[in-house]
Amino acid sequence: MALGDCWKSLSWLYYQYILVTALYMLEPWERTVFNSLLISVAGMAVYTGYVFMPQHIMAILHYFEVVQ
Amino acid sequence: MARTAANGHLKPHLNQNGLKREDIKRNGYHNKREKNGPGTCVASRQHKQESFEQAPMYVAVMTYLGFGIVTLFGYFRDFLRAVGIEKCHLAQEREEQKDFVPLYQDFENFYTRNLYMRVRDNWNRPICSLPGPVFDVMERVSDDYNWTFRFTGKTLHNVINMGSYNYLGFAENNTDFMKTVAEKTSQYGVGVCSTRQEIGNLDIHEELEQLVATFLGVESSMTFGMGFATNSMNIPALVGKGCLILSDEVNHTSLILGARLSGATIRVFKHNNMHSLEKLLREAVCSGQPRTHRPWKKILIMVEGIYSMEGSLVRLPEIIALKKKYKAYLFVDEAHSIGAVGPTGRGVTELFNVNPADVDVMMGTFTKSFGAAGGYIAGKKELVDYLRCQSHSAVYATSLSPPVTEQIIRAMKCIMGNNGSTEGIRRIRQLAENTKYFRARLKEMGFIIYGHEDSPVVPILLYMPGKVVAFAREMLERKIGVVVVGFPATPITEARARFCLSAAHTREMLNQVLHHMNEVGDLFCLKFSRRKHSSRPDLHDETGLELSS
Repeated sequence: MALGDCWKSLSWLYYQYILVTALYMLEPWERTVFNSLLISVAGMAVYTGYVFMPQHIMAILHYFEVVQ
Repeated sequence: MARTAANGHLKPHLNQNGLKREDIKRNGYHNKREKNGPGTCVASRQHKQESFEQAPMYVAVMTYLGFGIVTLFGYFRDFLRAVGIEKCHLAQEREEQKDFVPLYQDFENFYTRNLYMRVRDNWNRPICSLPGPVFDVMERVSDDYNWTFRFTGKTLHNVINMGSYNYLGFAENNTDFMKTVAEKTSQYGVGVCSTRQEIGNLDIHEELEQLVATFLGVESSMTFGMGFATNSMNIPALVGKGCLILSDEVNHTSLILGARLSGATIRVFKHNNMHSLEKLLREAVCSGQPRTHRPWKKILIMVEGIYSMEGSLVRLPEIIALKKKYKAYLFVDEAHSIGAVGPTGRGVTELFNVNPADVDVMMGTFTKSFGAAGGYIAGKKELVDYLRCQSHSAVYATSLSPPVTEQIIRAMKCIMGNNGSTEGIRRIRQLAENTKYFRARLKEMGFIIYGHEDSPVVPILLYMPGKVVAFAREMLERKIGVVVVGFPATPITEARARFCLSAAHTREMLNQVLHHMNEVGDLFCLKFSRRKHSSRPDLHDETGLELSS
């Protein structure tokens, strides 16, 4: 039951995303292209963050002289 | 200078307007301070009743985002069509013409190909019944994303009609009411086969023109076969080169076309903004024509009674005051307001209690409130007699068809209440009640509505292109027919759905529509209004109850 509600609300959220970005007007293959572009860009940002975040945090802490 | 009392303390006596008594000299001239008294004149009352709320900033951002994405995909699809991967369904230049000036590259063609075609199943829907309060819609589907349609053969019955301009409910097929129309059809036939100046001047046309003149309270009037042509063909007869036309920003295409055809200079003032109009008038009177500085032959102010896309009413008393001050002429297009506003349906002149003789040219159409076709121009006898000779429409266009003329005559007689019948007044009151109720409930739900409280045209702002299209489709699923309007007719970021109320709508129909609007508004997140409204709209009164809005 909770899974059904969760699925419904996720489905509603996806519908809102489709409406706001006007993907509702596009054909299904165009929606796939846009969604995959968006997910790949977001994925690349997350990966970059994952790889470089420790170095950046160490640099900040070094600048504020919390750690040497 | 205020006099100080002997002990040095000053106790000012303030009279009614908040002025100190010392400041008013004996002849009533107010010295220095003048505060504005509470607004009781028509202008401020109208200002309080009209609202054009702005949406929050994120809505504008998301609208631009949506348009940006669809535009990018439009460029992508155009590229595919140019390369040849995709077949082009619309007109394209031939191979031999590819090196010449491009024909289909401008923004309008781009917009049509890539935005309008994707969603055009929401417009031009064929209906197969009378456009009354409910109607039947033919179902059509598309197999190739709206490039071609086919009819499935099914009909959607009893769809509630919120789009027809049927303000007083005269679009009906009740045989009792239409008896005279049937009689005239059997007497005169349907076609007139001639123009007014040749053999097409029937006695019912004369009767109609006298009736229109009596209805409006003017000396004389003339009727034409088509409402759009009344504007576009008669304005060139009234003004020409060397004249100035001051036209409102959101005037209808027929007025703009007539103004351009006439050859006069056109200047546009901001919508319903009297400061902008006065500034233009002063400049025109002072500087005259552009290079020669000769005085203008005529200055014509063109406004409409109710603006159909905004739902706002014209500020008639102020415009008449300006017109008298600067000696200009006034042209009022009452296409939507005749029959629909005013205590007895006589239009904006009655609503604002203005003498009809102050408006130089009164124009209107019979398509909206009278359920017929055609238009009229009314005013002084010299004006109408001049138009009878000089107007293109009078000389070349076929005159009104007899059954249509009889329909206008019977509708007008019904509104005027001949034979003591109260049907006309009942319809006008029903329309006013429906308008107040519908607008109040929608505002209370949280939608952004434009326009004046008394206007039966209700535009609801939807802003985003995806939501506009989804709204139209979802309402048709729920058996409510609405008209949505997008870019060329409205500014690109203010797409809207326009509801036209009718005296034939019953309270149950309106409640059903409101119930579905509420659900759809929640489903699509359309309730952008940030104002709070009380839930008892019956308490709102015009007599100065100052509620915060």
